[in-house]
Amino acid sequence: MSYITALYSILAVILTVVLCFIVSTLLPGIERKYVHARIQQRIGPPVTSPGIMAPIKFYFKENITPNSPLPNLYKALPIVCFIVVLIILIILTPQAYAIPSIASIIAIVGLLKVEEICYVLMGALSKSVMSLNMPFPDLVKGAAHLDSERSFIEDLSSKRALRLISYGSFPLYLAIFTPVAITGSIFLQDIVIYQQINGPFLFTLSGAIAAIVFFLGYMILLNEYPFAILKTKADVIEGPYMEYASKYRSIVFITRGFLMFTLGALFSVLFIGIPPNIFSWGILVNIIVALIFPVLMGIFSAFSPVFTNRQFYPVVIGASLLGILAIVVGLL
Amino acid sequence: MLEEKKPMETIETEIPMGTVHPAALEPYRVRFFVEDEIVKEAEITVGVNHRGIERIMEGLPVEKANALTEKICGICSNAHVWNSVRTAEMGLEISIPERASYIRIIMGELERLHSHFLYLAHGCEVLGHETFSMRVFYLREAIMDLLHMIGGNRVQYGCSIIGGVRPRCDLDQSKIEKLLNSLKSVEEGLSGFADRFTSDSILMSRIEGIGLIPQKQALKLEVTGPTLRATGVAKDLRTTMPEYENFDFNIITQEGGDVKSNLLMRVLEAFESIKIIRQAVDELPSGAVIDRSWKMVDCEPIHSYIEVPRGTLYHSYALEDGRIRGSIIRTPSMTNIGAMQYACIGDHITDAQLSIVQCDPCFTCTDRAVEIIRR
Repeated sequence: MSYITALYSILAVILTVVLCFIVSTLLPGIERKYVHARIQQRIGPPVTSPGIMAPIKFYFKENITPNSPLPNLYKALPIVCFIVVLIILIILTPQAYAIPSIASIIAIVGLLKVEEICYVLMGALSKSVMSLNMPFPDLVKGAAHLDSERSFIEDLSSKRALRLISYGSFPLYLAIFTPVAITGSIFLQDIVIYQQINGPFLFTLSGAIAAIVFFLGYMILLNEYPFAILKTKADVIEGPYMEYASKYRSIVFITRGFLMFTLGALFSVLFIGIPPNIFSWGILVNIIVALIFPVLMGIFSAFSPVFTNRQFYPVVIGASLLGILAIVVGLL
Repeated sequence: MLEEKKPMETIETEIPMGTVHPAALEPYRVRFFVEDEIVKEAEITVGVNHRGIERIMEGLPVEKANALTEKICGICSNAHVWNSVRTAEMGLEISIPERASYIRIIMGELERLHSHFLYLAHGCEVLGHETFSMRVFYLREAIMDLLHMIGGNRVQYGCSIIGGVRPRCDLDQSKIEKLLNSLKSVEEGLSGFADRFTSDSILMSRIEGIGLIPQKQALKLEVTGPTLRATGVAKDLRTTMPEYENFDFNIITQEGGDVKSNLLMRVLEAFESIKIIRQAVDELPSGAVIDRSWKMVDCEPIHSYIEVPRGTLYHSYALEDGRIRGSIIRTPSMTNIGAMQYACIGDHITDAQLSIVQCDPCFTCTDRAVEIIRR
């Protein structure tokens, strides 16, 4: 009997992940086609293009050799990111709650940190032609600072990724810990059961505040405008992803859509109490939340310029204070 | 040059950008010397787009050379051919029909509109505000249609020729009606955009005090055009050009000298351009648009300065047997490069490209051999 249950659980997890993956491939397209393009009064790309058709196209393109001290590690990082997101989604499924030590907030936070560290490494391990190497020596004019160290724009994005780890992702983690403050447990199972008994956190004061903070953290983690400091077109261009081509770029694209869905599913678990499970109608809630988030994000990003430190710091500080307030209210 | 803001200490990090960069419309190289992402000094290098236009012009028949000047720039092509033709007309002492002069002004102001709209759209794009960028591009599209209607092309209209304008660029009643209708809708659209733009507090916080060029420094660096006027200097060559003496318009100035002042400067100048076009259409004289009765003679180097969207454009050449000798062309961006470098200092590196863009660079036109004469 237990053998059949285990098999059923594995099948449920696989099917849930497959469904979520299929939906996630549409999310970037929905954001660009039905939000950005509509607001900007243009046709926009086909809805399948950014999330799935572009990755397929990239997959069959010729690869380039990155100018990196550790090219194999550099190329492995998108795969690591994808696996991290995959594991987070698996952890969120109710079948994973059978292993409480894994299905916990701490595990999710740790995995999200791995994701963030990958951005630091990506930037640090790449030196694209966009800044560092020119086909001709360009020291001809002789500036006043000839002995200065030549840095590069990926390095700049790497340092910014470090800043995101040190303070930028505070809002997201504070929002994630709000349900912990309310339930007194770090285990996802307890958080879900608590909400099934007492109603979703989203409809409480602390939950509502934390939901807003979570959304800001979601935008920061996804590096969407106005928080796109890792890949600002005005300076670092694509930032850590600059030199990814072919199948590696394809994985980068797919991971972004998958992360959008996974963070939406995380919100559903933490604030609505509905985990993603293909054998439950609740998965529709996960899908709806996963759709609402990119739409809201698209609206915000379409109406605001990219932030520099002057705007980024106050927003992060404000969101972090709101997150602390949510935790305090939750504890009370 | 950088004495007001220039730090004297050693700067440890240099971040080069370009020659290809998505925030730049054209290829150029800029080296930012930064400390903790704050630009301490910037150095712009042009040179990858050098085409040697002046050298090619040497010895060409003046009509051909004039047509060639139109290829200098894709944005202000009409300004180049206008000034080049004007140089020949000054040398040959040709007075053109008044109707032709008015049509040249209409084309010049339409070009100023499309150039300023491109500037605004590009500025918004570098700011990361794609929605505003797209909205300005839609406004610009109406102007491009008008230029296409009058000149037969979206760029490179070939409007001005020695003695007047090409007969195909003459304005009939249907063209005038379309022109006025389009201008009305552009004006309404621009008013709406200006209201939205100035009331967006996030956007204002991004552009206020960024890319600051004080008036004193702007004068010292010989900055021209709207970039100079954005520092509070009311200097516009159109007030001294005889072509514009029948027109009533204001010289727009702003006091800030920052990105906000520069962006608003272009918006307000666009309204003035619309006003000038309306006056030109209302008072459009009748008669011929070209006088072909001129005779070719030799002449000494002639110097012609006109006000184009980016500032003062200078053309000079002598004529010998109907051919060009000693052509010199100086575009406004050439004199504004110093200001671009200066404007970046003290700003976050994300704002650095914006600080360059605020001076409305057109490096491809500027890319020519330069001899610096030290005095």
